[in-house]
Amino acid sequence: MGSEAASEPLLRLRGVTKLYEAGAGRVVGLSDVDLEIGAGEFLAVMGPSGSGKSTLMNILGCLDVPTSGTYEIKGRSVAGLSPDRLSALRNREIGFVFQVFHLLPRYTALRNVELPLIYAGVPREERARRALEELRAVGLEDRKEHLTNELSGGQKQRVAIARALVNKPSLLLADEPTGNLDTRSGDELMEILAGLNASGVTVVLVTHDPAIARRAHRTVYIVDGKLVSVERFREIRG
Amino acid sequence: MTRIDFVEVAFDSLRINRLRSALTMLGVIIGVAAVILLVALGQGTKNYVEEQFAGLGSNILIVTPGKIETKGGPPIIGSVRHKLTLNDSRILEKKGYLFAGVAPVVFGTAEVRYQNRSRNVSILGVTPAFQEVRNLHVEIGSFLGEADVDARRRVCVLGRTVKRELFGNANALGQTVKVAGTLFRVAGIMEKKGISLGIDIDDLVFVPVRTAQELFDIDGLFEILVSVRNKNDLDSGKELAMSLLKRAHNRNEDFTITNQAAILSSLYTILDTLTYVLGGIAAISLLVGGIGIMNIMLVTVKERTNEIGIRKAVGARNRDILLQFLFESTALATAGGIVGILAGVAGAYALRLLVPKLPVSIPAWSILLSFTFSVFVGVFFGVYPAKKAASLNPIEALRYE
Repeated sequence: MGSEAASEPLLRLRGVTKLYEAGAGRVVGLSDVDLEIGAGEFLAVMGPSGSGKSTLMNILGCLDVPTSGTYEIKGRSVAGLSPDRLSALRNREIGFVFQVFHLLPRYTALRNVELPLIYAGVPREERARRALEELRAVGLEDRKEHLTNELSGGQKQRVAIARALVNKPSLLLADEPTGNLDTRSGDELMEILAGLNASGVTVVLVTHDPAIARRAHRTVYIVDGKLVSVERFREIRG
Repeated sequence: MTRIDFVEVAFDSLRINRLRSALTMLGVIIGVAAVILLVALGQGTKNYVEEQFAGLGSNILIVTPGKIETKGGPPIIGSVRHKLTLNDSRILEKKGYLFAGVAPVVFGTAEVRYQNRSRNVSILGVTPAFQEVRNLHVEIGSFLGEADVDARRRVCVLGRTVKRELFGNANALGQTVKVAGTLFRVAGIMEKKGISLGIDIDDLVFVPVRTAQELFDIDGLFEILVSVRNKNDLDSGKELAMSLLKRAHNRNEDFTITNQAAILSSLYTILDTLTYVLGGIAAISLLVGGIGIMNIMLVTVKERTNEIGIRKAVGARNRDILLQFLFESTALATAGGIVGILAGVAGAYALRLLVPKLPVSIPAWSILLSFTFSVFVGVFFGVYPAKKAASLNPIEALRYE
């Protein structure tokens, strides 16, 4: 595939600005962000905390909509979509991996992986089959009946990846996925993400850790809600 | 579009939070059980009263001398010009084609003495017809016969209590007692009946009606009891008795005919109202149970904010979350309703065993109503928490710890 071959990028942000109403005035979350992400890319978004990384991730993940500017997925604008339409879009197009896992506690690993399929209206047997397939892909088939609170951090994050991919989304969105993992589990997880990307999954990784960002093919830098060049970023950070 | 398996989702969640689910159900269980139990109690009271009055017969007309005016209150003693007589009774018996039995009654009190024991009791002067009309029967010996009445024989039938007080365990049949100083032969002993309408049926002595008239030196009657063959003919029976007696009394309506059933039916109305009031009080506890559900569901929504965020992130729509929580509360209320019905029915049966005198019974409507109400409560009080859950912002919900 390759991004140069596609006439249309998978995701396109143009002049995306996000403002928050906060007490006295408005807080700028994102300011005039232009970004294109092609299908099959492995992109890292880097920035210090409070830089607007999370806001960007929320918008990319259709959890939030821009105040102004346009965001298109596969050429279709998400502006003006109702919360329910956004839910359906997330269900189909986005798989999330969070720093704090966000698995349902006291549910089995299999149940957690099934979750997106429930909301996709997939019948029960097919749901279980596909969820098991995804668990197998992350090497946790033998843990399917374990409750998620019985799993280690690394296992939890692999369950989260299985859940993110079970409905075959266009984009895997990982927010500091190694943030709560020890070095070894973190390395393993990055291997999994790299492997997934190699098999064609588009991955966007949000992190503040340069070592993690280095695994990506491309990195964008964000400071104070603006995308900046790597030189500028080093200057600010240094 | 797509059909979401929210039933499965809700049941999963209830199963995972067993203790909380059970505690939430408890309020509804108690409410439903209370409705069923209290209504059963009310119904039992009604049944009890009905049993007490059953001896009276619900098909009886009572003819008393004197006219009760709407304004004037009860007739002043002495103002009764025309008495009720045995002749009146005979007319009703002969021409009253709707009547099953006509029983003239003379009433008085007298001392009854056997050897050195005496007792002041009520004396009823009656005819053989009295047995069938009042549904009171002799147990030992025989009741008064037609010949006893016609010949004014001095025979009597003793109530259970009178017999016990005067004779103890000794045989009374064929013995002679003194009633108001006159000797009477004991012909029979009545079966045990207990207290009805405040009168101890067992503390009576029955003598032939003419004998009683002689004994008390009166020529009138205390009342005439008329039993109607068919319950539906009570009103026309009353009309018939009215016209027959008016003709006999020179078109004067100087008597009163009371429809026993009419009085009873108004009493039953009161008892029904009592049942509804009890049920209503219990329904309030059911309502409180519903508010309990709402409380727990609100706490649940708060507690599971993160879960709601996760579900929304992976594609749950507002409606999916709404239905999940609504279904959870409805399932809790429904299950609580079912368990409450079982508990209420069990409680009613236990009550019946403990207090056999009170014939508690569970009307079907109380089960149906309390169940429907509990389901309704679950839906009604589930809507607000469910709406709250559905309207959560996914980003904030995910951030919630």
